[in-house]
Amino acid sequence: MPLTRRQALASAAAAVASTVAKPAIAAKEPILIGYLPALTGPSSSTGVGINRGIQLAVQEINAAGGIDGRQIELITRDTQSDPTKAVNGAAELTRGQKVSVVFGPVNSGESLAVVPLLARTNTPQVHPCWVDTLTDPKKYPMCFRNAPTNQQIGGAANRYVVDVLKHKKVAVISDTTGYGTASVNAYVPMLKAKGAEVVYQSNVDAANPDLKPEILRMRSAGAEAIMPWSVNAGFLSRIINTRGQMEWNVPIVGQTTLGSGQTQALLEKPDYWAKVYPNNFRPVCYTPDGKLTDRTTAFLDRLKSAKIEMADTLLWWIALGYDSPRMIAEAMKNVGSEAEQIVGYLNNLKEFPGVYGDMSFTPDRHDGYPDEEVVMVEANSLKNGAFKLAPGYSA
Amino acid sequence: METEITQQATKLRPASANGRAFASGLGTALPFLALLVVGVAFPLFGGGYWGVIATRACVYWVLVSGLNLVVGFAGQIAIGWVALLTLGAYTTSVLVAGNVMAPLSPYLALAIAALVGAVFGLIVGLPALRLRTFYFAITTLGFATIVTQVALAWQSVTGGGVGVPGPVFPEPFSSQWGFYYFCFGFAAVCTWMTANIAESRFGRALAAIRDAEVAAEASGISKPVLLGKVFLFAGATAAVAGGLFASLQSYITPDAFTLDLSILFFIAILIGGRSSILGPLLGTILLTALPEFAAPLVAWSTFLYAVLLLIIVLAIPGGISEMLDFKNRRALESNRAIVPRPELVARLFDSVPNAGTLTLDQVTLSFGGVLAIDGLDLEIRPGQLHGLIGPNGSGKTTTLNVISGYYAPQRGAVRLNGKAIPALARDQRAHMRIARTFQTPRIVGSATVLENVMIGGTIDGNGTFVESLLSLPRHRRDEAMLRDTAMLALEAVGLERLASVRADRLQHAELRFTEIARALMLRPAFLLLDEPAAGLSAEEIARLSALLQAIARAGTGVLVVEHHPDLIFDICDQVTVLNLGRTLAAGTPAQIRSHREVVNAYLGA
Amino acid sequence: MVSSIVLSGTAIGCIYALIAVTYNVMFSASRVFSFTAGTLGMLGGVLGSLFIARMGLPVAIGFLLVLAGGAVLGIVTEIVAVRPVLKSLDQHLYVLSTLALALMIQQFTAIEWSTEPLPFPRLFDIARVEFDQQFWLPMLACLVVIVSLELLYRHTLIGHAFIAIAEDNYAARALGLPERRLRMTSFALAGVIGTLAGFAGGEMLLAFFANAPMLTFYGFVPVALGGMGNNRGAVVAGLMLGLFQQTANFLVGGIFASVAVFSVFIIVLLARPEGLVGAALQRRV
Repeated sequence: MPLTRRQALASAAAAVASTVAKPAIAAKEPILIGYLPALTGPSSSTGVGINRGIQLAVQEINAAGGIDGRQIELITRDTQSDPTKAVNGAAELTRGQKVSVVFGPVNSGESLAVVPLLARTNTPQVHPCWVDTLTDPKKYPMCFRNAPTNQQIGGAANRYVVDVLKHKKVAVISDTTGYGTASVNAYVPMLKAKGAEVVYQSNVDAANPDLKPEILRMRSAGAEAIMPWSVNAGFLSRIINTRGQMEWNVPIVGQTTLGSGQTQALLEKPDYWAKVYPNNFRPVCYTPDGKLTDRTTAFLDRLKSAKIEMADTLLWWIALGYDSPRMIAEAMKNVGSEAEQIVGYLNNLKEFPGVYGDMSFTPDRHDGYPDEEVVMVEANSLKNGAFKLAPGYSA
Repeated sequence: METEITQQATKLRPASANGRAFASGLGTALPFLALLVVGVAFPLFGGGYWGVIATRACVYWVLVSGLNLVVGFAGQIAIGWVALLTLGAYTTSVLVAGNVMAPLSPYLALAIAALVGAVFGLIVGLPALRLRTFYFAITTLGFATIVTQVALAWQSVTGGGVGVPGPVFPEPFSSQWGFYYFCFGFAAVCTWMTANIAESRFGRALAAIRDAEVAAEASGISKPVLLGKVFLFAGATAAVAGGLFASLQSYITPDAFTLDLSILFFIAILIGGRSSILGPLLGTILLTALPEFAAPLVAWSTFLYAVLLLIIVLAIPGGISEMLDFKNRRALESNRAIVPRPELVARLFDSVPNAGTLTLDQVTLSFGGVLAIDGLDLEIRPGQLHGLIGPNGSGKTTTLNVISGYYAPQRGAVRLNGKAIPALARDQRAHMRIARTFQTPRIVGSATVLENVMIGGTIDGNGTFVESLLSLPRHRRDEAMLRDTAMLALEAVGLERLASVRADRLQHAELRFTEIARALMLRPAFLLLDEPAAGLSAEEIARLSALLQAIARAGTGVLVVEHHPDLIFDICDQVTVLNLGRTLAAGTPAQIRSHREVVNAYLGA
Repeated sequence: MVSSIVLSGTAIGCIYALIAVTYNVMFSASRVFSFTAGTLGMLGGVLGSLFIARMGLPVAIGFLLVLAGGAVLGIVTEIVAVRPVLKSLDQHLYVLSTLALALMIQQFTAIEWSTEPLPFPRLFDIARVEFDQQFWLPMLACLVVIVSLELLYRHTLIGHAFIAIAEDNYAARALGLPERRLRMTSFALAGVIGTLAGFAGGEMLLAFFANAPMLTFYGFVPVALGGMGNNRGAVVAGLMLGLFQQTANFLVGGIFASVAVFSVFIIVLLARPEGLVGAALQRRV
């Protein structure tokens, strides 16, 4: 909700007052940032990747003196991919530990439960989950998303399948998590609006060892492309493997995890990874002439010197994890660590320079990722953590 | 009639026993009062985070308190009860969110969820009546999976994998502590209600179904009816817990209702102990709070619960409630003697039972190819003692079992006053005032002697299950009546000093007399005794004889199956000798004693 | 489509049948059903993947180690969860003790191995064909087990002893049969069969801790329908179950398939609690 001038003045005054009025001892207290990743469980690939970036960023910020001399203390509660544990963890972070801001959860299913809860306790929250309903400046004024929305992601993928690859009959498959279900529900109408025919749509238990029945049904229905939406590497690898075993030569276009090192490790044959086109983000991809941006190159160097593993995950997760505390630290450095201050700053953030994307928010739009940076890449072009753009993909 | 017996019993009960009863009552209530105080005062010392955990424990207890009646009391292994939590959570949330019809108030939604839960509790539970234990356990697991799958598939209503927001209860229950008190209120009410059931004829009947099903049937307890009521109640509380859970979560998805939760509920009851309210309550609090003490414990929580379960099963099957049962650690006096007071028997009967004669009319029963009873005629007259003797395998116990309704004879019938009684209606025998004891005493080991005897009078209670839940006056009158009658029965058989002792601490002879006291609760028109003297000393047999004679004098027709011919010849008016399922001889003891064939086949010279 | 249904339905039916046989072997030795039957199946896959894929042992060695592990686990089940409660007056404690043991093993596997299904190695390095090894391995295993058990029960002394213990415990002991040792051997045998089922089915089911509750349920259905202790009934019922399930899976999809299987199971069981083939329970008063 837009700040009135009075509110803006009041928060500015409060910011000044708090910086001045703080006694010397209190100024050295650590800044508590709550962190709700899924480090274990079926949807942990995102969390594990993000975690590497976030730990590095916090170390760097603290090594450089923290925020106005105050060190950042990251209080982690593993949600285990379970919405119930996410709620427990969120309750503990806000009521028990009294953190200033929460980063996470990183999976939509968990955020669906946690976002309303944090709104009730008036805790600022930044999360990277994609499901569209997870930000709402009116309902959740303190909640910000530093990642794309399902609309942005699905838009890019659907455009690639229908407009670039020119396939009209599409099979959409997801797992039974909140993220998977919401994605199918969002993308099927989008495809139909583009004039495509959805010949198969289904939510399948991610742990199902045998996806042959599903792929066979897709083939019988005449699908020309498979679009999977899941962060479960095992599930995605089984889709890719079954397509390969059946020697069915259709493209697979969908979730970024299709390109993760974890998925790659579970493939039966390396050549199964051909014709797989996941989402990714332009700043961390090779340009058509095979180059990376300077910022990304520098980041890769930093990862190498910190000995951070990349081969079993995705670069953009690590980058997102890296950018998030830096953005929050930037806010606190400028206006202080009170909730209203942080929210006020973020509401007016313009192009915060991140490795994986420049974030911008307004009081009416709490989705910070720019549309044009969502791209499609070719999975088996993976080299040093980055991908090449998918064939035929221009914008 | 009740008042007269109550007066008699109070006269017999010394004043100190009254005081002791009050003190022990207070002792039982004390832990609950302590928990109540801690719970009410919790916001004062517990921080916001522990408030969430405490609220969660209250919500879980609402479900566990009802499930406790099913698992802890009735002994039914319903592992998959999370299905009803899921059902209640979704019903409440969907009705409040307005996915199916216009949004309802959360209170109304919760009430509707309770009704839905009751119905489904019955559906999930009813297979218990048809299936063996292990099979029933597996089917409840199947139900739990099914409900989750349906929640996933029925996207239009439940949101599928996306889920649905939980209900928000209006002021004053929307704040954290407001909601805590709301849940605590439900938990307290459920504790009170299930404690009432525990101390009622229904609670005792459930324990009887669990540990002595045969005796339960003989006492007139109808397993389907009673289990049906309990499943309805347990389903309703589980559904209410589901609605509260959904509100606590603020958002529910199908993967919040894991099998691990079901295991938690189930194990909380088992480590708490059977036929106990306090045990499972402490168990629930323990299992909810335990994982919160250390982050690694969260991942290993189900493993720990399983370890706890194994330890309890192997080492302390009685659970926490047995560990806390200090009363029953006190040594009993050795060299106890059972001294019946036959003169008290008459006081139990308000009128001479007048049901006519019980006859077996040409009863023939065979098992497969084996002919167990071949054309047996038997007549038991009121006020008479009829002995049934014969060698092993002659069909004595089988005859009793036919009268009790375990077997339907292929030919012939059992008649009461000339009219044939339905062959297999085992739980109707008590209503016909036909009581019996068993070859091996069937008692509820974990209940006191008094409670065991009170089971015998279950069908004489007038209060309904709901009246017991709410401790309404008729329930309390029933309890007083049953307690006084049972005390009188115990005085009559000479076991009144052991009234509050756990039955599994008794000696064999005492158990036999306990069974007789239980049978006397029915003021039976006919009493069937299966080898009542087995394992008794000579002294005890003499006392048993006097007791049986007093029972017959009060007007009961008594049939005694025995191996000790002396007991039979001493007290019986009529004797029938069986051999290979046929009557070898029938007549007075004098006639039988000198009957040549009987002497040859059985008695010896 | 049809060939896929028949192949995968028969194969998975054989796995279910083998788990049912595991239940039956344990039951015939002790009159007790153990929740660990499904867990044994799960471990066949997990241990197989651990030894062969992760530790790199040769297939034959890994296979033998898995079976040995199964035997050990069977014996542990008997000692820890069955023997102590057989003596107790309460007949149903075994349900709880075996449940506890099964849960402990499952949770340990979930935490130490993975909560996600991990790949099971390809046992024979030959090309994929339609009648692939993932289908004929379970069928072969089922055939071998059934034939061996028949030979064991009919033609060997120890097999006769097993039957004696099951039919009339007291008489067998009176004859001097070493009841405890025979029971332990029976449970060891059951452990071998269970892990064999999981190993043979590994390529279909993958190495996944949650296979345990799934096999516990689906492996029990043939027992319930085929009659307690009846191995032939179990195989027939297992195959029927597998085919029914896969037909539903291929035609309508996973969620409805499991609802369908369960509903049919409960309806049949309520109609005939002793199973389609079994004898009605006789009461002892």
